[in-house]
Amino acid sequence: MAGLELLSDQGYRLDGRKATELRKVQARMGVFAQADGSAYLEQGNTKALAVVYGPHEMRGSRSRTLHDRAVINCQYSMATFSTAERKRRPHGDRKSTEMSLHLKQTFEAAVMTQLYPRSQIDIYVKILQSDGGNYSVCVNAATLAVIDAGIPMRDYVCACTVGFVDETPLADLCYAEESGGVSSLALALLPRGGQIALLQMDARLHQDHLETLIEAAMTACKGVSKVLDEVVRQHLQEVSVLTGE
Amino acid sequence: MATVQVSEAEKVYILHGIRDDLRVDGRGCEDYRHMEIETDVVSNTDGSAKITLGHTAVLVGIKAEIGKPRPMVPDEGYLEFFVDCSANATPEFEGRGGEELGTELSNTLYKVFNNKRSVDLKSLCISEGEHCWVLYVDVLLLQCDGNLYDAISIAIKAALFNTKIPRVQISADDEGGKEIELSDDPYDCMRLNVENVPCIVTLCKVGHRHVVDATLQEKACSVASLIISVTHKGTVTCTRKVGGGSLDPESIFEMTEAGKRVGKALHTPLMKLLQEEESRGA
Amino acid sequence: MKDTPLANCERDFLLKAIEEKKRLDGRQTYDYRKIKITFGTDYGCCFVDLGRTRVMAQVSCELVAPKENRPNEGIMFFNIELSPMASPAFEQGRQSELSVKLNRQLERCLRNSKCIDTESLCVVSGEKVWQIRVDVHMLNHDGNLMDAASIAAITALCHFRRPDVAIQGDEVTVFSPEERDPIPLSIYHMPISVSFSFFQQGTYLLVDPCEREERVMDGLLMIAMNKHREICSIQSSGGIMLLKDQVMRCSKIASVKVSEITELIGKALENDKKARKAGGRCGFAESIPQERITALKMEESPVEMMDVTERANDIVQKAEAPPQTVPSPVVPVPGVGQVGQGLQNTWGLEDDDEEEEEEEENGNRGEEQEGKASKMEKYEKEESRGGDVVEISDSEEEEVVILHPETSDKAPVNTGSRSSSHQKGAAKSKKK
Repeated sequence: MAGLELLSDQGYRLDGRKATELRKVQARMGVFAQADGSAYLEQGNTKALAVVYGPHEMRGSRSRTLHDRAVINCQYSMATFSTAERKRRPHGDRKSTEMSLHLKQTFEAAVMTQLYPRSQIDIYVKILQSDGGNYSVCVNAATLAVIDAGIPMRDYVCACTVGFVDETPLADLCYAEESGGVSSLALALLPRGGQIALLQMDARLHQDHLETLIEAAMTACKGVSKVLDEVVRQHLQEVSVLTGE
Repeated sequence: MATVQVSEAEKVYILHGIRDDLRVDGRGCEDYRHMEIETDVVSNTDGSAKITLGHTAVLVGIKAEIGKPRPMVPDEGYLEFFVDCSANATPEFEGRGGEELGTELSNTLYKVFNNKRSVDLKSLCISEGEHCWVLYVDVLLLQCDGNLYDAISIAIKAALFNTKIPRVQISADDEGGKEIELSDDPYDCMRLNVENVPCIVTLCKVGHRHVVDATLQEKACSVASLIISVTHKGTVTCTRKVGGGSLDPESIFEMTEAGKRVGKALHTPLMKLLQEEESRGA
Repeated sequence: MKDTPLANCERDFLLKAIEEKKRLDGRQTYDYRKIKITFGTDYGCCFVDLGRTRVMAQVSCELVAPKENRPNEGIMFFNIELSPMASPAFEQGRQSELSVKLNRQLERCLRNSKCIDTESLCVVSGEKVWQIRVDVHMLNHDGNLMDAASIAAITALCHFRRPDVAIQGDEVTVFSPEERDPIPLSIYHMPISVSFSFFQQGTYLLVDPCEREERVMDGLLMIAMNKHREICSIQSSGGIMLLKDQVMRCSKIASVKVSEITELIGKALENDKKARKAGGRCGFAESIPQERITALKMEESPVEMMDVTERANDIVQKAEAPPQTVPSPVVPVPGVGQVGQGLQNTWGLEDDDEEEEEEEENGNRGEEQEGKASKMEKYEKEESRGGDVVEISDSEEEEVVILHPETSDKAPVNTGSRSSSHQKGAAKSKKK
């Protein structure tokens, strides 16, 4: 029944997109001068702001220093006005801590931490408006911020949330689709090698559909990576024009 | 505030400059930095505004919800403030690091804004003693480069101006209770009158002179500051002294006069700008 | 308390063994450890043993007001406690990263998959609903806490019975278990999680890692499925990169394992039901005297003994004969004898010495002289190895000389004898 609302017979979704169509992605790098790297990304109505400080000396407990790599420290938080119902605690609750852990795990796989032993890289992501796909938008924004900070990575990290309705995978879910009880899969991918940095799925899905869903997620991520690539190149052009090359 | 390390030589340099009415970035003692204001940035709030004052960036979102009025004043609504010092501003605010600053800021905001002289709280009442509008004002610090109070107060004024509260109809339902209906039309809304909303001006005492809109470096050279909230008529509604140093009464008087002057001059261009933006949007 | 760090050689050993497809406890790559499920006296209390990992789950219920945005649904609340008794690395009260991770995974596995019909938990819509609380306590940590916790939680939920409720108009009556039989929860399906650990950047994969394997792993993939082959949750953690084929392979393995485990749970529940019907007292209190809960029994494991004797003989023959030394007691001053000092140590052959000491004891008792002789012989035998002929030579005679009944000489002799009897005594206790 939910499928009828989420995917019409002609193949259109609630917001008029087709099943495999991504939302409009708009991004800007270097929004804050004070931070080492920053980026603002909008995917449809979900807006995220990512800020990177580092690499710098270990702050806090020196005992957590790693002798051969950098420590990546992530914090995910949501603005209190980001959701339809006002959120009381921006961070510190279980869901935010879990998201922070996932982000940390994703970027530990992608950032070349062996180049900065005994140091720390901080990645802070804030959701200004939440309309589905929070994790994916965070990862995309954080990728741009890390690139803006000049920290080397193995590849772009692109993420996308896909859902499964009526035997069709839907790419890039919005909030209404996510809360409609659709089984959703969030995937963070390094597109060039096809390596999955993080895979997360809730809600029931039959095993036979798993492969199609992962395939759809990987295609969507590759689409996102193209957009991110363009944003980065454009930003580089602007910056080089300003510095007079 | 986020701290900045300043050496003694730099302090002396800044001090001498201010003595001659010349600040590091070329401003005069009573000049503000470049300010950019944008309203209606977050779409699922009832009102929002974003302010960039030099390197300080603040985002304010206002959500209006129906709640029970305070027992002492049953015919008024009220405002609730929450300041979130996010880790984006500086890594020191990570986790619970920014809580202290956030509580301090929100307490000051309560004093300044949550009274019937600043905001027409009576217009927020729906039915006396039972329902009223509660405005949740959420402030998000994006970047911190000094002078938070000024930026936040201007952002709140702009956000309040931008707030669209849906109109309500009260009808009596079967059991004698009141039923509230919100109008569905997004344009059928009530706007707040922000004429009397004050703006906060922070004056930092550096050496023997005072400066308006201090950057972090100038703040590191000062020992005491005075926070004054000024309305558009030039009335001072709230004063507070912060910092560990002392101020003698004469300089307080001077600073208050300067604050009144600067604050008064702030309101008119601000209202003009807001109205222009509104008309452009519509 | 900080956990003991893993030595590099241990880590290398484990990794090498995994490369050769060998595991510490002899399992195959896709084998689970032995799972044992027991129930407590109350409904909803369940213990799960996964090898040496031990977990307890308890389900309780309470009538509360429902959430505002879901007025006719019950509330499920999950809580995993990492008790310090499970591992020295767990601290009381602090919510560590692992605790958050496990809690969230269990929540996602059981709550988001909607395994329980929450609408049946509603008593009065908008006012009173049942809040089902599942508390999982870790009692011993030997790897793979997530799987054990998920099995314990879902079994406890299947086992639990909530009090019966009757609604008459506006009145709600809750019946105690004596008045009316409590009714079970309505469970749609049983999601069970299976953990896969990856080593060497994803080249090797193990199911159900034990604690040592967990320490050296690169990353973990958790797949929760039910027996209808529906995937309820997937979560990858640790900084590893996976390929799509690996994920597909893991899901196939998981479906096989899940059906086995579901069968096991079904059997355990059946047994418990039969035991309760038969009226026998069952559960936690009864298990203690039978040492089912408190004992950490090592199961009898078969050891390969086929060619042990041959190999032992081999080793003995190929071993070098130990050097022969004839100890001569040094007599620096008349009346004082030193034996054993400055000679080669006898660490390797203590066992043989013991046996020989015993023989000597049994053989010679009685006169001091003979006792002395036996002592000397004992010492001789200690020092000689490989069954060489010991020359009971002049040295002994010299000792016997000391035995002349001269008081000054007797003193050391007595101490000597005392020490020998001490030795004998010690040997005796060793024998025991």
